[in-house]
Amino acid sequence: MLAACGRSDSGGSGVPPSIRYPDHVAAGGNQPPAGDIKNPLASDSANASDGSKIFSAMNCDGCHGGGALGWVGPSLVDGRWRYGGTDGALFQSIYYGRPRGMPAYGGILSPGAIWKIVSYIRAQPVPVTVPTESFK
Amino acid sequence: MRVAPFAAVALIVLQGTSPRDDGQWTMPGRDYAATRYSGLSQITSRNAARIRPLWSFSTGVLGGHEGQPLVVGSTMYVVTPFPDVLYAFDLTREGYPLKWKYRPEVNPTALGIACCDAINRGAVYGDGKIVYNLLDGHTVAVDAVSGRELWKTQIADMSQGETTPMAPFVAGHRVIVGPSGGEFGIYGWVKALDLTTGKILWTAHNMGPDSLMLARPGRGHYSGDANIGVSTWQGDSWRRGGAPVWGWISYDPQLDLIYFGTGNPGPYNTEQRPGENKWTNSVLARRPGDGSLVWAYQFTPHDSWDYDSNAEMILTDLVVGGRMRRVLVHFDKNGFAYTLDRVTGELLVAEPFANVTWAKGINKRTGVPIVDTTKTTGVSRGNVQDICPSLEGGKSPASPAAYSPRTGLFYTATNNLCMNFEAASVTRIPGTPYIGATTPYFAGPGGYMGAFIAWDAARGRRVWKIEEKFPVWSGSVVTAGDVVFYGTLDGWFKAADAKSGRQLWKFKVGSGVVGAPISFRGPDGKQYIAIYAGIGGDWLLLSGDVRSDDPADVRPPADFAPELARHTSQGGIVWIFGL
Repeated sequence: MLAACGRSDSGGSGVPPSIRYPDHVAAGGNQPPAGDIKNPLASDSANASDGSKIFSAMNCDGCHGGGALGWVGPSLVDGRWRYGGTDGALFQSIYYGRPRGMPAYGGILSPGAIWKIVSYIRAQPVPVTVPTESFK
Repeated sequence: MRVAPFAAVALIVLQGTSPRDDGQWTMPGRDYAATRYSGLSQITSRNAARIRPLWSFSTGVLGGHEGQPLVVGSTMYVVTPFPDVLYAFDLTREGYPLKWKYRPEVNPTALGIACCDAINRGAVYGDGKIVYNLLDGHTVAVDAVSGRELWKTQIADMSQGETTPMAPFVAGHRVIVGPSGGEFGIYGWVKALDLTTGKILWTAHNMGPDSLMLARPGRGHYSGDANIGVSTWQGDSWRRGGAPVWGWISYDPQLDLIYFGTGNPGPYNTEQRPGENKWTNSVLARRPGDGSLVWAYQFTPHDSWDYDSNAEMILTDLVVGGRMRRVLVHFDKNGFAYTLDRVTGELLVAEPFANVTWAKGINKRTGVPIVDTTKTTGVSRGNVQDICPSLEGGKSPASPAAYSPRTGLFYTATNNLCMNFEAASVTRIPGTPYIGATTPYFAGPGGYMGAFIAWDAARGRRVWKIEEKFPVWSGSVVTAGDVVFYGTLDGWFKAADAKSGRQLWKFKVGSGVVGAPISFRGPDGKQYIAIYAGIGGDWLLLSGDVRSDDPADVRPPADFAPELARHTSQGGIVWIFGL
């Protein structure tokens, strides 16, 4: 759709034309045409470490908390996703922003930097105790 | 219990300036002086044990229900957190059904710019209108009878990190408003709107050149050096230096001065803003007519600990040091309670009401804190340990105190939390947080995390204390029946004897209390107490897993208060109690 609006920076390190959410229920059982995109960066500690620094430098921790544990914005390390947890969905959340307060960083961060943040978030372990909180 | 000997004097003075209690609650702090004192006396320390719940209403909104309802005539008005719904309840009919509700269009982008939950601190009544702020930087006036929107004015700029949860104040025909955004590097201000039209009449910044601060030579007796709002900052750092106005405003009609506190300087990392950073963390006295700055006093110069001074400024007359003074009493986040001469800003009393480690005291002659420099923070200072109070404050400005002219005492919620503070360099990206610190909390001495106290502001000492397991974050009301009310984060609403601090009654209201109780006389002539239940505000951020409406946001318990989420989840309920 964006390509139809004159944007041509799709594919590679650019912005994808659109992203499919595998978790969405499609009307009629038919997925609309879209791409599944993967993080082009290697899933290694160097990219995750760079992403951690960017997460802090771009003030992401100001809303999502140190370690992305949740603050005024939701936790990003509980394995739960309001707008999808795939590489592409995370990229889209950061690039375009989301309703209810997530700013669009596409104007100030390169796609490569956003992918490093995605690498950082996806490298965080999900605590085994997430579904049940028991009190002693 | 010692009843202050000056109480009778104070009562006479107050009666000379205040009308007889009419049973209404038309502005956030009950009266211009922000006393939150109700002259109603049917509920007393002798019969308070018989208080019972009479009515409740779900606001349909989860989140921090800060602030207080209004009662005007036979109508009760309630503003919810975002999306800032205004309800008008008919108190003359059984079950208090709605007369109307007003559902403004509010930009949800505000949710990502409000630092600390999407709260609203309430409305004010004036000239037939209910006036309040929407989170997205607008002030609205609604016809109090019909609920029809009369005007809507944009006052704040979300693209610069400004949101507007504070309760407006009406002084004469002026509506006084200010922004939040101390964590977003705003350039703090107050504005006055025309009550009839909503037109912005003046804007006064809290720092910067005198021309923008409306510090006019020859007007009033502002004695600051010229352009002190620039010279106490490095370079142009004042342009993003914070000083939000998100707390409460009071007014002395005889002196024709409004009083309000300013919030923290930004960012938290002190090394990005050398200087005293005037007038952050200060009280400012301005003329409501044209905004002129008459005097200012800074509680915490070059703030190292996020000690906002947005807490209420309560006005009364007290005998201090043998002289009757027109005073302003303020419980600061920095842990000191201040009594100032409100004519001149002269410091009269400054004593700690909470555990304090960052300062050894306040120099009474200069008004400057005697700072323990080992507690000063900044990137080069590393992780500074054992700072008390924490940046939640010895008392939160969100938890307004009350003052009884009958006892001569002030009543306030307090926190007993300390913190470590590790600063970091931070870049300002407009519309995103501008903070630069990691600040884990822990309970202060004694292990309890909060208390409700009575304070003698003439002498600067605590008179009694009720310890609570968790920080106490509610406002309070004190009545002519000598009963004081407050709520707790674990969801109790409580009554205590205002003279002795003896606990009289409590009731579990369904969610933690961060609102402020009111007392009013119903159309049936009876005295009632109203309070919100609905944990939130900072406690949305701090409580761990109290949010259950979002399956995509699951958090561990708060490390310093792991038991809190055992007792409460988010809520949104208006309660009315009576005998």
